[in-house]
Amino acid sequence: MSRTRGSAATVRVVFVGLASLAMLTPLYILVVNAFKSQREILANPFAIDFSTATFRYLADAWNNPDFSILKGYGITLALVVCVNVLAIMVCAPAAYVLARTPDLVARLLLFFFIAGMFIPTQTVLVPVIFVLRALGLMGTLTGLILFMTATTIPFTLFVFFGYIRMLPRSLDEAAAIDGAGKYYTLWRIILPLMRPILATVFILNSLSVWNDFASPQMILGPGSGIYTVTTGVYAAVGQYSTDYSKVFPTLLLAVIPILVIFVVMQRHIMSGLAAGAVKG
Amino acid sequence: MTRKNVSRIGAWRSAGVRAGMVAPAVLIYAALLVVPVGYAFYYSFTDYNGFPNRVPEFIGLDNYRTMFESHDITGTMVVTAIVAAVGAVAVNLAALGLALLLQKTNRFNTFGRVVMFYPHVLSALVVGFLWQAILGPQGVINTLLEKAGTSSLPFLSDPDGALWSMILVIVWSLFGVQLVLYLAGLQAVPQDLIEAARIDGAGRWGTFRAVTWPSLASTVTVAVITSCISLLKTYDVVVSLTGGGPAGSTKTLAYSILAVSFPQRKIGVASAQAVLLIVAAAIMAITVLVLRRRAENDAESIG
Repeated sequence: MSRTRGSAATVRVVFVGLASLAMLTPLYILVVNAFKSQREILANPFAIDFSTATFRYLADAWNNPDFSILKGYGITLALVVCVNVLAIMVCAPAAYVLARTPDLVARLLLFFFIAGMFIPTQTVLVPVIFVLRALGLMGTLTGLILFMTATTIPFTLFVFFGYIRMLPRSLDEAAAIDGAGKYYTLWRIILPLMRPILATVFILNSLSVWNDFASPQMILGPGSGIYTVTTGVYAAVGQYSTDYSKVFPTLLLAVIPILVIFVVMQRHIMSGLAAGAVKG
Repeated sequence: MTRKNVSRIGAWRSAGVRAGMVAPAVLIYAALLVVPVGYAFYYSFTDYNGFPNRVPEFIGLDNYRTMFESHDITGTMVVTAIVAAVGAVAVNLAALGLALLLQKTNRFNTFGRVVMFYPHVLSALVVGFLWQAILGPQGVINTLLEKAGTSSLPFLSDPDGALWSMILVIVWSLFGVQLVLYLAGLQAVPQDLIEAARIDGAGRWGTFRAVTWPSLASTVTVAVITSCISLLKTYDVVVSLTGGGPAGSTKTLAYSILAVSFPQRKIGVASAQAVLLIVAAAIMAITVLVLRRRAENDAESIG
Protein backbone atom coordinates (compact mmCIF):
# COMPACT_ATOMS: atom_id res chain seq x y z
CA MET A 1 0.00 0.00 0.00
CA SER A 2 2.57 2.53 1.09
CA ARG A 3 4.85 1.36 -1.71
CA THR A 4 2.24 1.99 -4.42
CA ARG A 5 1.49 5.36 -2.86
CA GLY A 6 5.21 6.17 -2.88
CA SER A 7 5.62 5.29 -6.53
CA ALA A 8 2.47 7.23 -7.45
CA ALA A 9 3.97 10.26 -5.71
CA THR A 10 7.21 9.79 -7.65
CA VAL A 11 5.32 9.62 -10.93
CA ARG A 12 3.46 12.78 -9.96
CA VAL A 13 6.65 14.67 -9.10
CA VAL A 14 8.36 13.54 -12.30
CA PHE A 15 5.36 14.49 -14.40
CA VAL A 16 4.97 17.93 -12.83
CA GLY A 17 8.71 18.42 -13.12
CA LEU A 18 8.68 17.65 -16.84
CA ALA A 19 5.65 19.87 -17.41
CA SER A 20 7.38 22.72 -15.54
CA LEU A 21 10.44 22.25 -17.69
CA ALA A 22 8.30 22.47 -20.84
CA MET A 23 6.66 25.64 -19.54
CA LEU A 24 9.96 27.30 -18.64
CA THR A 25 11.96 26.41 -21.76
CA PRO A 26 10.65 29.32 -23.90
CA LEU A 27 11.48 31.78 -21.10
CA TYR A 28 14.96 30.27 -20.79
CA ILE A 29 15.50 30.64 -24.54
CA LEU A 30 14.30 34.25 -24.35
CA VAL A 31 16.63 35.20 -21.51
CA VAL A 32 19.73 33.34 -22.68
CA ASN A 33 19.61 34.55 -26.27
CA ALA A 34 19.14 38.21 -25.35
CA PHE A 35 22.88 38.30 -24.57
CA LYS A 36 24.17 36.62 -27.74
CA SER A 37 25.00 37.53 -31.32
CA GLN A 38 22.93 36.22 -34.22
CA ARG A 39 25.73 33.74 -35.08
CA GLU A 40 25.89 32.41 -31.53
CA ILE A 41 22.11 32.14 -31.31
CA LEU A 42 21.95 30.05 -34.45
CA ALA A 43 24.99 27.98 -33.43
CA ASN A 44 23.45 26.89 -30.15
CA PRO A 45 20.27 28.51 -28.91
CA PHE A 46 20.24 26.61 -25.62
CA ALA A 47 23.70 27.34 -24.29
CA ILE A 48 25.22 30.54 -23.01
CA ASP A 49 28.93 31.22 -23.06
CA PHE A 50 29.56 33.73 -20.28
CA SER A 51 32.88 34.81 -21.80
CA THR A 52 31.14 36.21 -24.91
CA ALA A 53 27.80 37.18 -23.36
CA THR A 54 27.19 40.89 -23.71
CA PHE A 55 24.69 43.57 -22.82
CA ARG A 56 25.29 45.20 -26.20
CA TYR A 57 22.14 43.83 -27.82
CA LEU A 58 19.95 44.78 -24.88
CA ALA A 59 21.43 48.28 -25.03
CA ASP A 60 20.75 48.44 -28.77
CA ALA A 61 17.13 47.41 -28.23
CA TRP A 62 16.81 49.95 -25.43
CA ASN A 63 18.18 52.71 -27.69
CA ASN A 64 16.15 51.68 -30.73
CA PRO A 65 15.54 54.93 -32.66
CA ASP A 66 12.16 53.71 -33.98
CA PHE A 67 10.70 52.85 -30.60
CA SER A 68 11.78 54.15 -27.21
CA ILE A 69 10.96 51.35 -24.82
CA LEU A 70 11.21 53.69 -21.84
CA LYS A 71 8.52 55.90 -23.35
CA GLY A 72 6.49 52.76 -24.06
CA TYR A 73 6.70 51.78 -20.37
CA GLY A 74 5.68 55.32 -19.38
CA ILE A 75 2.67 55.49 -21.66
CA THR A 76 1.48 51.98 -20.79
CA LEU A 77 1.87 52.70 -17.09
CA ALA A 78 -0.12 55.93 -17.47
CA LEU A 79 -2.85 53.93 -19.24
CA VAL A 80 -2.92 51.36 -16.44
CA VAL A 81 -3.23 54.05 -13.76
CA CYS A 82 -5.85 56.14 -15.58
CA VAL A 83 -8.05 53.18 -16.54
CA ASN A 84 -7.96 51.78 -13.01
CA VAL A 85 -8.75 55.10 -11.34
CA LEU A 86 -11.53 55.90 -13.77
CA ALA A 87 -13.05 52.41 -13.66
CA ILE A 88 -13.09 52.39 -9.84
CA MET A 89 -14.45 55.94 -9.69
CA VAL A 90 -17.41 55.21 -11.93
CA CYS A 91 -18.07 51.58 -10.94
CA ALA A 92 -17.99 51.90 -7.16
CA PRO A 93 -20.91 54.38 -6.94
CA ALA A 94 -22.92 52.53 -9.60
CA ALA A 95 -22.38 49.14 -7.96
CA TYR A 96 -23.21 50.63 -4.55
CA VAL A 97 -26.54 51.99 -5.77
CA LEU A 98 -27.44 48.80 -7.64
CA ALA A 99 -26.54 46.61 -4.65
CA ARG A 100 -28.66 48.72 -2.28
CA THR A 101 -31.70 49.18 -4.57
CA PRO A 102 -33.61 45.93 -4.90
CA ASP A 103 -36.10 47.11 -7.56
CA LEU A 104 -36.68 46.03 -11.14
CA VAL A 105 -34.85 48.95 -12.75
CA ALA A 106 -31.71 48.11 -10.78
CA ARG A 107 -31.95 44.44 -11.78
CA LEU A 108 -32.30 45.36 -15.45
CA LEU A 109 -29.38 47.80 -15.25
CA LEU A 110 -27.21 45.13 -13.67
CA PHE A 111 -28.11 42.72 -16.45
CA PHE A 112 -27.40 45.44 -19.01
CA PHE A 113 -23.88 45.81 -17.59
CA ILE A 114 -23.17 42.09 -17.18
CA ALA A 115 -24.13 41.38 -20.79
CA GLY A 116 -21.06 43.41 -21.76
CA MET A 117 -18.77 40.74 -20.28
CA PHE A 118 -19.60 38.45 -23.19
CA ILE A 119 -18.83 40.95 -25.95
CA PRO A 120 -15.45 40.16 -27.53
CA THR A 121 -13.57 43.50 -27.52
CA GLN A 122 -12.20 42.98 -31.00
CA THR A 123 -15.69 43.05 -32.49
CA VAL A 124 -16.41 46.61 -31.39
CA LEU A 125 -13.04 48.10 -32.31
CA VAL A 126 -14.06 49.01 -35.86
CA PRO A 127 -17.31 50.83 -34.92
CA VAL A 128 -15.57 52.39 -31.89
CA ILE A 129 -13.26 54.16 -34.31
CA PHE A 130 -16.27 55.96 -35.80
CA VAL A 131 -17.70 56.84 -32.39
CA LEU A 132 -14.34 58.23 -31.25
CA ARG A 133 -13.94 60.12 -34.50
CA ALA A 134 -17.35 61.73 -33.96
CA LEU A 135 -16.27 62.72 -30.44
CA GLY A 136 -12.95 64.07 -31.75
CA LEU A 137 -11.03 61.56 -29.62
CA MET A 138 -9.68 59.25 -32.34
CA GLY A 139 -5.93 58.77 -32.15
CA THR A 140 -5.72 60.25 -28.65
CA LEU A 141 -4.80 58.73 -25.31
CA THR A 142 -8.04 60.09 -23.82
CA GLY A 143 -10.05 58.11 -26.37
CA LEU A 144 -8.05 54.96 -25.65
CA ILE A 145 -8.44 55.40 -21.88
CA LEU A 146 -12.20 55.87 -22.19
CA PHE A 147 -12.57 52.81 -24.43
CA MET A 148 -10.42 50.61 -22.20
CA THR A 149 -12.41 51.80 -19.18
CA ALA A 150 -15.65 50.91 -20.96
CA THR A 151 -14.38 47.37 -21.58
CA THR A 152 -13.44 46.91 -17.91
CA ILE A 153 -16.75 48.27 -16.56
CA PRO A 154 -18.86 45.07 -16.86
CA PHE A 155 -16.44 42.91 -14.86
CA THR A 156 -15.51 45.62 -12.36
CA LEU A 157 -19.11 46.55 -11.67
CA PHE A 158 -20.18 42.93 -11.37
CA VAL A 159 -17.58 41.96 -8.76
CA PHE A 160 -18.12 45.22 -6.85
CA PHE A 161 -21.85 44.52 -6.83
CA GLY A 162 -21.31 41.02 -5.45
CA TYR A 163 -18.97 42.32 -2.74
CA ILE A 164 -21.06 45.30 -1.60
CA ARG A 165 -24.14 43.12 -1.34
CA MET A 166 -22.34 41.07 1.31
CA LEU A 167 -21.57 44.14 3.44
CA PRO A 168 -24.25 44.69 6.09
CA ARG A 169 -26.81 47.41 5.41
CA SER A 170 -26.65 48.49 9.05
CA LEU A 171 -23.40 50.28 8.12
CA ASP A 172 -25.30 52.56 5.72
CA GLU A 173 -28.10 53.10 8.19
CA ALA A 174 -25.71 54.05 10.99
CA ALA A 175 -23.98 56.49 8.67
CA ALA A 176 -27.31 57.94 7.53
CA ILE A 177 -28.42 58.50 11.12
CA ASP A 178 -25.18 60.38 11.72
CA GLY A 179 -26.16 62.58 8.79
CA ALA A 180 -23.71 61.21 6.21
CA GLY A 181 -24.72 61.55 2.55
CA LYS A 182 -24.54 58.68 0.07
CA TYR A 183 -21.21 59.76 -1.40
CA TYR A 184 -19.66 60.22 2.02
CA THR A 185 -20.89 56.78 3.10
CA LEU A 186 -19.51 55.20 -0.05
CA TRP A 187 -16.04 56.76 -0.08
CA ARG A 188 -15.45 56.80 3.70
CA ILE A 189 -17.21 53.68 4.94
CA ILE A 190 -17.91 51.22 2.11
CA LEU A 191 -14.81 51.68 -0.03
CA PRO A 192 -12.27 51.05 2.75
CA LEU A 193 -14.06 47.76 3.46
CA MET A 194 -13.71 46.80 -0.20
CA ARG A 195 -9.92 46.67 -0.09
CA PRO A 196 -9.59 42.95 -1.02
CA ILE A 197 -11.87 43.24 -4.03
CA LEU A 198 -10.25 46.53 -5.08
CA ALA A 199 -6.90 44.74 -5.12
CA THR A 200 -8.34 41.93 -7.25
CA VAL A 201 -9.91 44.33 -9.73
CA PHE A 202 -6.77 46.44 -9.86
CA ILE A 203 -4.58 43.43 -10.65
CA LEU A 204 -6.85 41.96 -13.32
CA ASN A 205 -7.58 45.26 -15.06
CA SER A 206 -3.91 46.24 -14.97
CA LEU A 207 -2.90 42.96 -16.58
CA SER A 208 -5.42 43.32 -19.38
CA VAL A 209 -4.56 46.97 -20.04
CA TRP A 210 -0.80 46.37 -19.97
CA ASN A 211 -1.04 43.44 -22.39
CA ASP A 212 -3.69 44.81 -24.73
CA PHE A 213 -2.49 45.11 -28.29
CA ALA A 214 -5.58 45.38 -30.51
CA SER A 215 -7.07 48.48 -28.83
CA PRO A 216 -3.96 50.72 -28.90
CA GLN A 217 -3.13 49.43 -32.39
CA MET A 218 -6.53 50.42 -33.78
CA ILE A 219 -7.29 53.53 -31.72
CA LEU A 220 -3.86 55.17 -31.54
CA GLY A 221 -2.67 53.86 -34.90
CA PRO A 222 0.85 54.39 -36.25
CA GLY A 223 -0.03 57.95 -37.31
CA SER A 224 -0.36 59.22 -33.74
CA GLY A 225 3.27 58.40 -32.91
CA ILE A 226 2.16 57.16 -29.47
CA TYR A 227 3.36 53.63 -28.73
CA THR A 228 2.48 51.36 -25.84
CA VAL A 229 4.79 48.48 -24.98
CA THR A 230 2.86 46.06 -27.23
CA THR A 231 2.41 48.30 -30.27
CA GLY A 232 6.03 49.40 -29.89
CA VAL A 233 7.24 45.80 -29.87
CA TYR A 234 5.13 45.19 -32.95
CA ALA A 235 6.69 48.18 -34.70
CA ALA A 236 10.22 47.20 -33.63
CA VAL A 237 10.13 43.43 -34.12
CA GLY A 238 7.53 43.02 -36.86
CA GLN A 239 9.77 43.70 -39.81
CA TYR A 240 13.01 42.19 -38.43
CA SER A 241 11.64 38.92 -37.24
CA THR A 242 14.65 36.82 -38.31
CA ASP A 243 17.25 39.15 -36.82
CA TYR A 244 17.21 37.31 -33.50
CA SER A 245 19.83 39.56 -31.92
CA LYS A 246 17.12 42.21 -32.15
CA VAL A 247 14.05 40.04 -31.46
CA PHE A 248 15.11 38.43 -28.18
CA PRO A 249 16.43 41.58 -26.42
CA THR A 250 13.36 43.61 -27.44
CA LEU A 251 10.97 40.92 -26.22
CA LEU A 252 12.92 40.52 -22.99
CA LEU A 253 12.74 44.25 -22.29
CA ALA A 254 9.00 44.16 -23.00
CA VAL A 255 8.26 41.38 -20.49
CA ILE A 256 10.75 42.13 -17.70
CA PRO A 257 8.63 44.61 -15.70
CA ILE A 258 5.54 42.43 -15.69
CA LEU A 259 7.53 39.27 -14.90
CA VAL A 260 9.25 40.96 -11.96
CA ILE A 261 5.92 42.22 -10.65
CA PHE A 262 4.44 38.76 -11.11
CA VAL A 263 7.23 36.99 -9.24
CA VAL A 264 7.04 39.47 -6.36
CA MET A 265 3.24 39.43 -6.13
CA GLN A 266 2.42 35.98 -7.52
CA ARG A 267 0.37 34.91 -4.54
CA HIS A 268 -1.86 38.01 -4.68
CA ILE A 269 -2.22 37.83 -8.44
CA MET A 270 -3.21 34.17 -8.52
CA SER A 271 -5.56 34.27 -5.54
CA GLY A 272 -7.07 37.54 -6.78
CA LEU A 273 -7.78 35.91 -10.08
CA ALA A 274 -9.47 32.93 -8.47
CA ALA A 275 -11.56 35.19 -6.20
CA GLY A 276 -12.61 37.37 -9.11
CA ALA A 277 -13.70 34.56 -11.38
CA VAL A 278 -15.27 32.11 -8.98
CA LYS A 279 -17.66 34.73 -7.63
CA GLY A 280 -19.36 34.63 -11.04
CA MET B 1 -49.40 66.37 5.35
CA THR B 2 -46.17 68.31 5.81
CA ARG B 3 -44.44 65.19 6.98
CA LYS B 4 -45.52 63.36 3.86
CA ASN B 5 -44.23 66.21 1.71
CA VAL B 6 -40.88 66.19 3.42
CA SER B 7 -40.44 62.47 2.91
CA ARG B 8 -41.43 62.84 -0.73
CA ILE B 9 -38.81 65.52 -1.27
CA GLY B 10 -36.33 63.24 0.48
CA ALA B 11 -37.24 60.36 -1.82
CA TRP B 12 -36.92 62.61 -4.85
CA ARG B 13 -33.57 63.84 -3.79
CA SER B 14 -32.28 60.37 -3.08
CA ALA B 15 -33.53 59.13 -6.47
CA GLY B 16 -31.63 62.02 -8.04
CA VAL B 17 -28.51 61.21 -6.06
CA ARG B 18 -28.79 57.57 -7.02
CA ALA B 19 -29.20 58.36 -10.71
CA GLY B 20 -26.20 60.66 -10.45
CA MET B 21 -24.11 57.83 -8.98
CA VAL B 22 -25.04 55.37 -11.70
CA ALA B 23 -24.86 57.84 -14.59
CA PRO B 24 -21.08 58.05 -15.21
CA ALA B 25 -20.73 54.28 -15.51
CA VAL B 26 -23.79 54.06 -17.77
CA LEU B 27 -22.51 56.91 -19.92
CA ILE B 28 -19.01 55.54 -20.59
CA TYR B 29 -20.23 51.97 -20.98
CA ALA B 30 -23.08 52.93 -23.32
CA ALA B 31 -21.10 55.38 -25.45
CA LEU B 32 -18.08 53.17 -26.02
CA LEU B 33 -19.42 49.63 -25.83
CA VAL B 34 -23.19 49.51 -26.37
CA VAL B 35 -23.40 52.16 -29.09
CA PRO B 36 -20.52 50.57 -31.03
CA VAL B 37 -22.30 47.20 -30.86
CA GLY B 38 -25.36 48.97 -32.28
CA TYR B 39 -23.21 50.53 -34.99
CA ALA B 40 -21.77 47.11 -35.83
CA PHE B 41 -25.32 45.84 -36.44
CA TYR B 42 -26.23 48.97 -38.43
CA TYR B 43 -23.10 48.99 -40.63
CA SER B 44 -23.51 45.26 -41.28
CA PHE B 45 -26.56 46.13 -43.42
CA THR B 46 -24.81 48.91 -45.34
CA ASP B 47 -22.16 49.53 -47.95
CA TYR B 48 -19.64 51.89 -46.37
CA ASN B 49 -15.97 52.63 -46.94
CA GLY B 50 -15.44 54.55 -43.72
CA PHE B 51 -14.64 57.93 -45.23
CA PRO B 52 -16.29 60.75 -43.22
CA ASN B 53 -17.75 62.38 -46.35
CA ARG B 54 -19.55 59.19 -47.42
CA VAL B 55 -22.94 58.12 -46.08
CA PRO B 56 -23.46 54.39 -45.37
CA GLU B 57 -25.78 53.04 -48.05
CA PHE B 58 -28.40 50.47 -47.00
CA ILE B 59 -27.94 47.18 -48.90
CA GLY B 60 -29.92 44.70 -46.78
CA LEU B 61 -28.31 41.31 -46.24
CA ASP B 62 -25.71 41.66 -49.00
CA ASN B 63 -22.77 41.76 -46.58
CA TYR B 64 -23.93 38.54 -44.94
CA ARG B 65 -24.29 36.94 -48.37
CA THR B 66 -20.80 38.10 -49.33
CA MET B 67 -19.47 36.79 -46.06
CA PHE B 68 -20.92 33.30 -46.39
CA GLU B 69 -20.05 33.05 -50.08
CA SER B 70 -16.43 34.10 -49.65
CA HIS B 71 -14.23 31.04 -49.13
CA ASP B 72 -11.72 33.28 -47.50
CA ILE B 73 -14.15 34.34 -44.78
CA THR B 74 -15.89 30.97 -44.26
CA GLY B 75 -12.35 29.61 -43.88
CA THR B 76 -11.76 32.03 -41.00
CA MET B 77 -14.98 30.81 -39.36
CA VAL B 78 -13.77 27.21 -39.54
CA VAL B 79 -10.38 28.17 -38.13
CA THR B 80 -12.02 30.13 -35.30
CA ALA B 81 -14.34 27.21 -34.50
CA ILE B 82 -11.42 24.75 -34.44
CA VAL B 83 -9.32 27.04 -32.27
CA ALA B 84 -12.22 27.60 -29.85
CA ALA B 85 -13.33 23.96 -29.64
CA VAL B 86 -9.96 22.17 -29.62
CA GLY B 87 -8.38 24.93 -27.56
CA ALA B 88 -11.12 24.90 -24.93
CA VAL B 89 -10.95 21.11 -24.54
CA ALA B 90 -7.15 21.12 -24.35
CA VAL B 91 -6.99 24.10 -21.97
CA ASN B 92 -9.55 22.62 -19.60
CA LEU B 93 -8.13 19.09 -19.65
CA ALA B 94 -4.61 20.35 -19.00
CA ALA B 95 -5.81 22.73 -16.31
CA LEU B 96 -8.01 20.21 -14.50
CA GLY B 97 -5.38 17.46 -14.74
CA LEU B 98 -2.63 19.65 -13.34
CA ALA B 99 -4.95 21.10 -10.70
CA LEU B 100 -5.58 17.56 -9.41
CA LEU B 101 -1.82 16.95 -9.30
CA LEU B 102 -1.00 20.29 -7.67
CA GLN B 103 -3.87 20.62 -5.22
CA LYS B 104 -1.93 19.93 -2.02
CA THR B 105 -0.20 23.06 -0.78
CA ASN B 106 3.53 22.55 -0.43
CA ARG B 107 6.60 24.28 -1.78
CA PHE B 108 6.99 22.06 -4.83
CA ASN B 109 3.34 22.53 -5.84
CA THR B 110 3.43 26.29 -5.28
CA PHE B 111 6.43 26.44 -7.58
CA GLY B 112 4.56 24.29 -10.10
CA ARG B 113 1.52 26.59 -10.03
CA VAL B 114 3.61 29.71 -10.59
CA VAL B 115 5.42 28.06 -13.49
CA MET B 116 2.17 26.96 -15.13
CA PHE B 117 0.63 30.40 -14.69
CA TYR B 118 3.41 32.79 -15.69
CA PRO B 119 2.75 32.83 -19.48
CA HIS B 120 -0.61 34.42 -18.75
CA VAL B 121 1.00 37.64 -17.52
CA LEU B 122 2.94 38.00 -20.79
CA SER B 123 1.11 39.74 -23.60
CA ALA B 124 -0.18 37.41 -26.30
CA LEU B 125 1.69 39.48 -28.88
CA VAL B 126 5.05 38.86 -27.19
CA VAL B 127 4.20 35.18 -26.72
CA GLY B 128 3.55 34.91 -30.47
CA PHE B 129 6.84 36.57 -31.41
CA LEU B 130 8.73 34.40 -28.94
CA TRP B 131 7.28 31.15 -30.30
CA GLN B 132 7.80 32.39 -33.85
CA ALA B 133 11.50 32.66 -33.02
CA ILE B 134 11.41 29.12 -31.62
CA LEU B 135 9.22 27.32 -34.19
CA GLY B 136 9.73 29.43 -37.31
CA PRO B 137 11.42 28.10 -40.48
CA GLN B 138 14.70 29.68 -39.34
CA GLY B 139 13.83 29.38 -35.68
CA VAL B 140 15.67 27.76 -32.83
CA ILE B 141 14.35 24.22 -33.27
CA ASN B 142 14.73 24.03 -37.03
CA THR B 143 18.27 25.40 -36.85
CA LEU B 144 19.15 22.65 -34.41
CA LEU B 145 17.49 20.00 -36.59
CA GLU B 146 19.39 21.16 -39.67
CA LYS B 147 22.63 21.03 -37.75
CA ALA B 148 21.85 17.50 -36.63
CA GLY B 149 21.44 16.61 -40.29
CA THR B 150 17.72 15.86 -40.18
CA SER B 151 15.22 17.77 -42.27
CA SER B 152 13.44 20.70 -40.66
CA LEU B 153 9.90 20.44 -39.36
CA PRO B 154 7.22 22.71 -40.87
CA PHE B 155 5.74 23.98 -37.59
CA LEU B 156 4.70 27.27 -39.13
CA SER B 157 5.31 26.78 -42.85
CA ASP B 158 2.74 24.05 -43.47
CA PRO B 159 -0.99 24.94 -43.23
CA ASP B 160 -1.95 22.12 -40.85
CA GLY B 161 1.26 22.38 -38.87
CA ALA B 162 0.75 26.11 -38.41
CA LEU B 163 -2.78 25.71 -37.11
CA TRP B 164 -1.81 23.04 -34.59
CA SER B 165 1.30 24.95 -33.55
CA MET B 166 -0.82 28.04 -32.98
CA ILE B 167 -3.32 26.10 -30.86
CA LEU B 168 -0.43 24.65 -28.86
CA VAL B 169 0.99 28.12 -28.24
CA ILE B 170 -2.41 29.47 -27.20
CA VAL B 171 -2.98 26.57 -24.81
CA TRP B 172 0.52 27.06 -23.36
CA SER B 173 -0.16 30.70 -22.66
CA LEU B 174 -3.77 30.40 -21.51
CA PHE B 175 -4.35 27.37 -19.33
CA GLY B 176 -2.77 28.87 -16.20
CA VAL B 177 -5.92 30.92 -15.60
CA GLN B 178 -8.14 27.87 -15.75
CA LEU B 179 -5.66 25.99 -13.54
CA VAL B 180 -6.09 28.65 -10.86
CA LEU B 181 -9.88 28.41 -11.20
CA TYR B 182 -9.84 24.63 -10.81
CA LEU B 183 -7.49 24.85 -7.82
CA ALA B 184 -9.93 27.22 -6.13
CA GLY B 185 -12.82 24.92 -7.04
CA LEU B 186 -11.04 21.87 -5.64
CA GLN B 187 -10.61 23.57 -2.29
CA ALA B 188 -14.38 23.83 -2.02
CA VAL B 189 -14.92 20.09 -2.56
CA PRO B 190 -16.20 18.72 0.77
CA GLN B 191 -13.40 16.64 2.32
CA ASP B 192 -15.80 14.50 4.38
CA LEU B 193 -17.50 13.31 1.18
CA ILE B 194 -14.14 12.29 -0.26
CA GLU B 195 -13.26 10.41 2.91
CA ALA B 196 -16.68 8.77 2.96
CA ALA B 197 -16.14 7.60 -0.63
CA ARG B 198 -12.70 6.22 0.29
CA ILE B 199 -14.13 4.36 3.26
CA ASP B 200 -16.82 2.93 0.99
CA GLY B 201 -13.97 1.49 -1.07
CA ALA B 202 -14.03 3.87 -4.04
CA GLY B 203 -10.74 4.16 -5.93
CA ARG B 204 -9.21 7.41 -7.13
CA TRP B 205 -11.25 7.41 -10.33
CA GLY B 206 -14.46 6.44 -8.55
CA THR B 207 -14.00 9.22 -5.99
CA PHE B 208 -13.30 11.71 -8.74
CA ARG B 209 -16.39 10.76 -10.71
CA ALA B 210 -18.81 10.49 -7.82
CA VAL B 211 -17.64 13.35 -5.59
CA THR B 212 -15.04 15.70 -7.06
CA TRP B 213 -16.47 16.16 -10.56
CA PRO B 214 -20.07 16.96 -9.50
CA SER B 215 -18.84 19.38 -6.83
CA LEU B 216 -16.76 21.16 -9.46
CA ALA B 217 -19.80 21.81 -11.69
CA SER B 218 -19.90 25.59 -11.33
CA THR B 219 -16.11 25.88 -11.61
CA VAL B 220 -16.15 23.88 -14.82
CA THR B 221 -18.78 26.23 -16.24
CA VAL B 222 -16.83 29.36 -15.41
CA ALA B 223 -13.57 27.85 -16.70
CA VAL B 224 -15.16 26.70 -19.96
CA ILE B 225 -16.93 30.02 -20.63
CA THR B 226 -13.86 32.13 -19.91
CA SER B 227 -11.62 29.92 -22.04
CA CYS B 228 -14.09 29.78 -24.96
CA ILE B 229 -14.59 33.53 -25.04
CA SER B 230 -10.90 34.31 -24.90
CA LEU B 231 -10.28 31.73 -27.65
CA LEU B 232 -13.05 33.14 -29.87
CA LYS B 233 -11.30 36.51 -29.99
CA THR B 234 -7.85 35.14 -30.81
CA TYR B 235 -6.08 37.95 -32.59
CA ASP B 236 -2.72 39.01 -31.09
CA VAL B 237 -1.11 35.58 -31.41
CA VAL B 238 -2.12 35.37 -35.07
CA VAL B 239 -0.52 38.75 -35.77
CA SER B 240 2.81 37.85 -34.19
CA LEU B 241 3.07 34.08 -34.71
CA THR B 242 1.84 33.42 -38.24
CA GLY B 243 0.36 36.59 -39.74
CA GLY B 244 -2.63 34.43 -40.67
CA GLY B 245 -0.62 32.24 -43.01
CA PRO B 246 0.44 30.08 -44.64
CA ALA B 247 -2.39 30.29 -47.19
CA GLY B 248 -4.82 31.71 -44.61
CA SER B 249 -4.67 28.52 -42.54
CA THR B 250 -4.44 30.39 -39.23
CA LYS B 251 -6.62 33.38 -40.05
CA THR B 252 -9.23 33.76 -37.31
CA LEU B 253 -12.42 35.77 -37.58
CA ALA B 254 -11.08 38.52 -35.32
CA TYR B 255 -7.89 38.71 -37.40
CA SER B 256 -9.94 38.87 -40.59
CA ILE B 257 -12.00 41.78 -39.19
CA LEU B 258 -9.11 43.89 -37.97
CA ALA B 259 -6.32 42.97 -40.40
CA VAL B 260 -8.18 42.22 -43.64
CA SER B 261 -11.67 43.72 -43.98
CA PHE B 262 -10.96 46.95 -42.09
CA PRO B 263 -7.74 47.90 -43.92
CA GLN B 264 -9.58 47.13 -47.20
CA ARG B 265 -12.18 49.67 -46.05
CA LYS B 266 -14.98 47.09 -46.22
CA ILE B 267 -16.69 48.39 -43.10
CA GLY B 268 -19.95 46.61 -43.96
CA VAL B 269 -18.33 43.19 -44.26
CA ALA B 270 -16.15 43.77 -41.19
CA SER B 271 -19.31 44.65 -39.24
CA ALA B 272 -21.16 41.55 -40.47
CA GLN B 273 -18.21 39.46 -39.27
CA ALA B 274 -18.28 41.28 -35.94
CA VAL B 275 -22.00 40.57 -35.57
CA LEU B 276 -21.34 36.90 -36.26
CA LEU B 277 -18.68 36.82 -33.54
CA ILE B 278 -20.93 38.61 -31.05
CA VAL B 279 -23.75 36.15 -31.76
CA ALA B 280 -21.37 33.19 -31.42
CA ALA B 281 -20.11 34.48 -28.06
CA ALA B 282 -23.68 35.08 -26.86
CA ILE B 283 -24.87 31.62 -27.91
CA MET B 284 -21.89 30.04 -26.21
CA ALA B 285 -22.41 31.97 -22.99
CA ILE B 286 -26.14 31.18 -22.87
CA THR B 287 -25.64 27.48 -23.67
CA VAL B 288 -23.04 27.06 -20.99
CA LEU B 289 -25.13 28.96 -18.46
CA VAL B 290 -28.14 26.72 -19.15
CA LEU B 291 -25.98 23.60 -18.84
CA ARG B 292 -24.53 25.02 -15.64
CA ARG B 293 -27.91 25.39 -14.05
CA ARG B 294 -28.65 21.76 -14.86
CA ALA B 295 -25.28 20.56 -13.55
CA GLU B 296 -25.70 22.60 -10.39
CA ASN B 297 -29.05 21.02 -9.74
CA ASP B 298 -27.36 17.63 -10.03
CA ALA B 299 -24.65 18.78 -7.65
CA GLU B 300 -27.22 19.93 -5.12
CA SER B 301 -28.82 16.50 -5.16
CA ILE B 302 -25.60 14.92 -3.89
CA GLY B 303 -24.61 17.76 -1.54
